[in-house]
Amino acid sequence: MLEGLHSAAAGMAAQQQRLDAVANDLANANTTGYKHQRVGFRDLVYDQTGRSSAQGVRTGSGAAAVDAGRAFAQGTLQRTDRTLDVAIQGEGFLRVRLADGRDALTRDGGLHIDGNRRLTTSTGAIVQPAITVPEGVGEDQVSIGPDGTVLAAGNRIGRLDVVTVRSEAGLLSVGNNAFVTTAASGAAIAAPRATTLTQGALESSNTDMAEAMVSMIESQRAYQLTSKAISTADEMMGIANQVKR
Amino acid sequence: MDRGLYIAASGMLAEQIRQDQIANDLANASTPGYKADRTSQRSFNDLLLANSATGATVGPQSTAVQVDRIVTDFSGRPLRDTGEPLDFGISGDGFFAVQTAQGVRYTRNGQFALDTQGRLVTASGDPVLGPNNQPITANADGTVNPRLIGVFNVTNPVKQGDSLVSGTAAGAATGTVQSGMLESSGADPARSMVDMISSMRAFEAGQKVIQTIDETLGKAATQVGSVSS
Repeated sequence: MLEGLHSAAAGMAAQQQRLDAVANDLANANTTGYKHQRVGFRDLVYDQTGRSSAQGVRTGSGAAAVDAGRAFAQGTLQRTDRTLDVAIQGEGFLRVRLADGRDALTRDGGLHIDGNRRLTTSTGAIVQPAITVPEGVGEDQVSIGPDGTVLAAGNRIGRLDVVTVRSEAGLLSVGNNAFVTTAASGAAIAAPRATTLTQGALESSNTDMAEAMVSMIESQRAYQLTSKAISTADEMMGIANQVKR
Repeated sequence: MDRGLYIAASGMLAEQIRQDQIANDLANASTPGYKADRTSQRSFNDLLLANSATGATVGPQSTAVQVDRIVTDFSGRPLRDTGEPLDFGISGDGFFAVQTAQGVRYTRNGQFALDTQGRLVTASGDPVLGPNNQPITANADGTVNPRLIGVFNVTNPVKQGDSLVSGTAAGAATGTVQSGMLESSGADPARSMVDMISSMRAFEAGQKVIQTIDETLGKAATQVGSVSS
């Protein structure tokens, strides 16, 4: 009786999930290389309703949120003039190895030199293949070309490998600006030629503040409206209970 | 007389189903390409009452009410701009075709992605089909030409959940596909709220009818023929 209670609850849960995603997007409005989440919705199964309806009358059972991966639209480039900052323009990721040994992909190009003189990201993930900056070469003597070639005081010491995957939406976000490949994304392959690197710049987050705010308002109102369906169903059950006084 | 009890109860049951349908509409207020439902009720066959003494007809009397069918309004809704290259909306009539494990299904929810083979797929991973029922492959830069996506007329569409409808394709439709757009949900919160209130009040009226008949029966049982009063 009154399946609508559950349909409405499912709808509220879906809105809540979107709100969580929007909150995460807003919290990362200034995170280098952050890609905002794409949340969708779908309706749930339609079932034959109980008594007092003709055959073939079916009501739905609510809605669910769908994770459609990240939106990999390019974020705007921010000039930093730091020699170890590098922004990716176009499709692609830097290959890095995380502290736990997993290979990952990132668009956060704020690089550093670690204790072993290797290039790492700001979270300590080591750039793959490893690039070692010779002793005595300062940060400001490193130059990174549009194709990823890294020069230290004029000598070539390696190349930043820019890769991509067939299905970016299938990448799994593991935090620290890093993504790992999954069966749904496919293995890493070379990035298209059009992708270039820009030294002295960082890619800003692609969270669109205005859009996130609108999503937030819409979610909240939809949540509120759906909750009314629950209170109405509750009231109706109260009425039914009072049939016998 | 006590027939009224059952008629009122059937009305209350029908309102419950309507309430379920409204709750589903509200829950899908944000689902792209969702199509709103409307519950239609009809009375059971009328019964011709006759005066048992004289045989004169009294008139028809309804025996109950039931939910006859739930009608889905498949008309198009405005597209809203999302800026995502893999969001598609149909402006005008028609459906996207999707190859699912159960056969070809149709949808107006154009929130798509690419799979590992570079094909355009739905959020559940089912390939979206072109005009000749072939899967659609993305360009090297990850975009898809909206003109490659098939738009079909579907006769007798029936909602299946997961944003899909089943039905029979009947040739290409007149609608055009636009990228970076999603169709808004067909659920109209204002209408749903009004329907919800009227449904709840009809339910309440049914309860009052039952209570009144119960009171009448109670009087008949306790007061008619009582010597004391």
